[in-house]
Amino acid sequence: MIQNIAQKFTGSRSTLRAAEHRFIIIALVPTILFYAIVKFYPIFFSFFISMHEWSLFGNVSPFVGLDNYVLLAKDSLFYKVMWNTMYRTFAGTFLGAFCSLIVALILNPIKRGSILLRLLYFLPVMTSVIASATIWKWMLQTRFGLLNQLLSFVGIQPVPWLQSTTWAMPSIIVMGIWGGIGFTVIIYLAGLKGIPKDYYEAAEIDGASSLQLAFRITLPLLKPVVSFVLITGVIGGFSGGFQAIYMMTGGGPLDSTRVLALHIYDYAFQRMFMGQASSMSFVLFAIVLILTLVQFKLQRVDWEL
Amino acid sequence: MANQDFVGIPSQVDTRALNRGATDFQRLRRGLLINYLVLGAGAILMVVPFIWMISTSFKPQAETVSFPPRLFPINPTISNYIDVFDRANMGRLYWNTTFISVIKTIFNIYTSALLGYIFGKFVFRGRDIIFYILLSTWIIPFEVYLIPLYLMTVQVGWADTYTALIVPEIFTIYAMFMFRQFMYTIPTELIDAARIDGAGEWYIFHRIIIPLSRAALFTLIAFYFMWNWNDFLWPLVVISSHDKYVITVGLATFVGEFWNQYGVIMAGASLAIVPILALFIAVQRFIIEGVVLTGLKG
Repeated sequence: MIQNIAQKFTGSRSTLRAAEHRFIIIALVPTILFYAIVKFYPIFFSFFISMHEWSLFGNVSPFVGLDNYVLLAKDSLFYKVMWNTMYRTFAGTFLGAFCSLIVALILNPIKRGSILLRLLYFLPVMTSVIASATIWKWMLQTRFGLLNQLLSFVGIQPVPWLQSTTWAMPSIIVMGIWGGIGFTVIIYLAGLKGIPKDYYEAAEIDGASSLQLAFRITLPLLKPVVSFVLITGVIGGFSGGFQAIYMMTGGGPLDSTRVLALHIYDYAFQRMFMGQASSMSFVLFAIVLILTLVQFKLQRVDWEL
Repeated sequence: MANQDFVGIPSQVDTRALNRGATDFQRLRRGLLINYLVLGAGAILMVVPFIWMISTSFKPQAETVSFPPRLFPINPTISNYIDVFDRANMGRLYWNTTFISVIKTIFNIYTSALLGYIFGKFVFRGRDIIFYILLSTWIIPFEVYLIPLYLMTVQVGWADTYTALIVPEIFTIYAMFMFRQFMYTIPTELIDAARIDGAGEWYIFHRIIIPLSRAALFTLIAFYFMWNWNDFLWPLVVISSHDKYVITVGLATFVGEFWNQYGVIMAGASLAIVPILALFIAVQRFIIEGVVLTGLKG
C-alpha cells in the first residue's frame, strides 16, 4: 500500500486536464472541510472537554487535567458498566455469529422458497430497534407477556425477565440476536457463494459425507468471513446497545444492563456531567481503536480489492 | 456413501450423472426436509413478535391482559389506532420523519456517488491519503463526537432545528466506500470516450456514472432511507419540541406515557414499522441481491 501511495506521488500520470482538476477540487474541498469540522475537530474538542469539569449549566468549566480519568479508574460503577458492555458484546456476537452460521449453512442448499425465508429473517433488520424493543418489552412482560403465558402451559412460574438482574441482560442479548441474524446470514450466504461448486462435487465423488463436506470444505473456506463477522461484531458491540437498553430496562435493574453507550448518554445529557462523559467516550474510542488495529493485523484487510 | 448404491451399474452409463441425481434426490428426502423444518421453526421465531404486535394492537385493553393468550381478538377494535393518531400526533411524526429521511438520503447518496467516482476513477496527488483519512472516521463510534457535536450545534444556534439533524450527516463513509468499489465495474474507456466526444466532467458524472451505478444506487438508497428513518440517538439529543419529533423519538416518548396500555403501544409500534417494511418488501429483490453485489468485495 505504501508503495502504491509513493507511486501515485511520483508517478507521471498526474497530468490532469484543467476541467478534471476543477471537478476534483469542487468536490473535495467541501468534503474535507466537512470532515474536518464534523468529525476531526470534535475529537479534539471531546478530549478538551474531558479535561474539564464541564456542565451545560453554569458558565465556569474549571480545568481539572486528567482527574476525570482518575475518577473513572476509581469508580466501581464504571467497572460494572465495562463488565456489562463486554458481557453483552461477547455473548451477543459469538451466539449471534453461531446462530447465523447455522441458518446460512442450512439455507444455502435451498432453492425453492429461499427468497421468502431470507425476507422473513431479514424483517427485524429493517425494523427500528426502538419499535422492536417496544414489542419485546411487551412480550417479556412478567404477568401478561406472551412468553410467560406460554411458559405457564408447561408449568413454569412467571419469570420477571426484564426486572431480574440475572435475566435482563440475556433477554436483551437474545433480542439483539433476533434483530441482527438476518444481516449476518446474508453476509455468510455471500461467502458461501464464493466457494467453488467443484470442491463439493470432487469430494462427493470421493465419497465424503455431508458432515465431512461441512467441516473439511465449507468451514475452513468460510473462516475469513466468520472472523470478519466476529471482529466487526465485537467492535460494534462496544459502542452498541443504546436503543434496546434505553427502551427495555433503562440500564436497570440495579445497573445490571447499564452499558457504556447508555452510561455516556446518561452522564452527558441527563446528569449533565459532560466532562466525565467525555472521558468515558475516550475510553470507548481507545478500545475501538485498539480492536480495529488488531483486526488489521489479523486480517490484513485489503481495501484495494 | 452415495457411491455404494451404484456399484453394479455397467460402465457405459454415465455414473456421475446418475450419482448426482441420486444424491440430490436423497438430499431432498432426508437433508432438505430437515433444512426446511429447522428454517421454518426459526422463521416462526422471527415473525412471532410482529404477529403478536399486530394481534395485540387490535385488542381492547381487557383482552390484552387476559389468559390464555389468543392470536385473534374476540372483539377486534381499531380504537387503539385512533388513539395513537389522536394522542401521539402520528400524522405529524410521519411527515417529519419522511421529510428528514428523504432529504438526508438524497444528500448521502449524491455526495457518496460523487466521491466514490472521484476516488475510484481519478488519479491525482494525495488521492489515497485523503481517501484513507476519510475512511478512518468510519471506526469512530458516534458516542465519541456526540457531546462536542451537540455543544457545537447549540453554539451555532441550531439546537431544536432540522438543520441540526441534516447538516452533520450530509456526507457518509459507508456509501462512499461502496460506490468507490462499484466504480471498478465501470470501464474507464467509457469515460475517456465521453471526454473525447467533448462531454464535461459533471455531464459524465450525471449522465454516465450515475445511470451505470443503478444496482449500487438502489440498494444504498434503500438502506440509507431505512437507517435515516430509524435514526434515534441524535434526534433524541438535539430535538426538544414535540412537533418536531421524528417517529422513533415520538414512539419512545409515547411508550413512556402509555406504558400499561399495551394495545395502544402496539398500535404505535405497528404504525412506526409497517410503512418501512412495506417499502422494503416492495423492493426486497434489489436489496438482497444488492447487499451481495456491493457489500462483500472487501
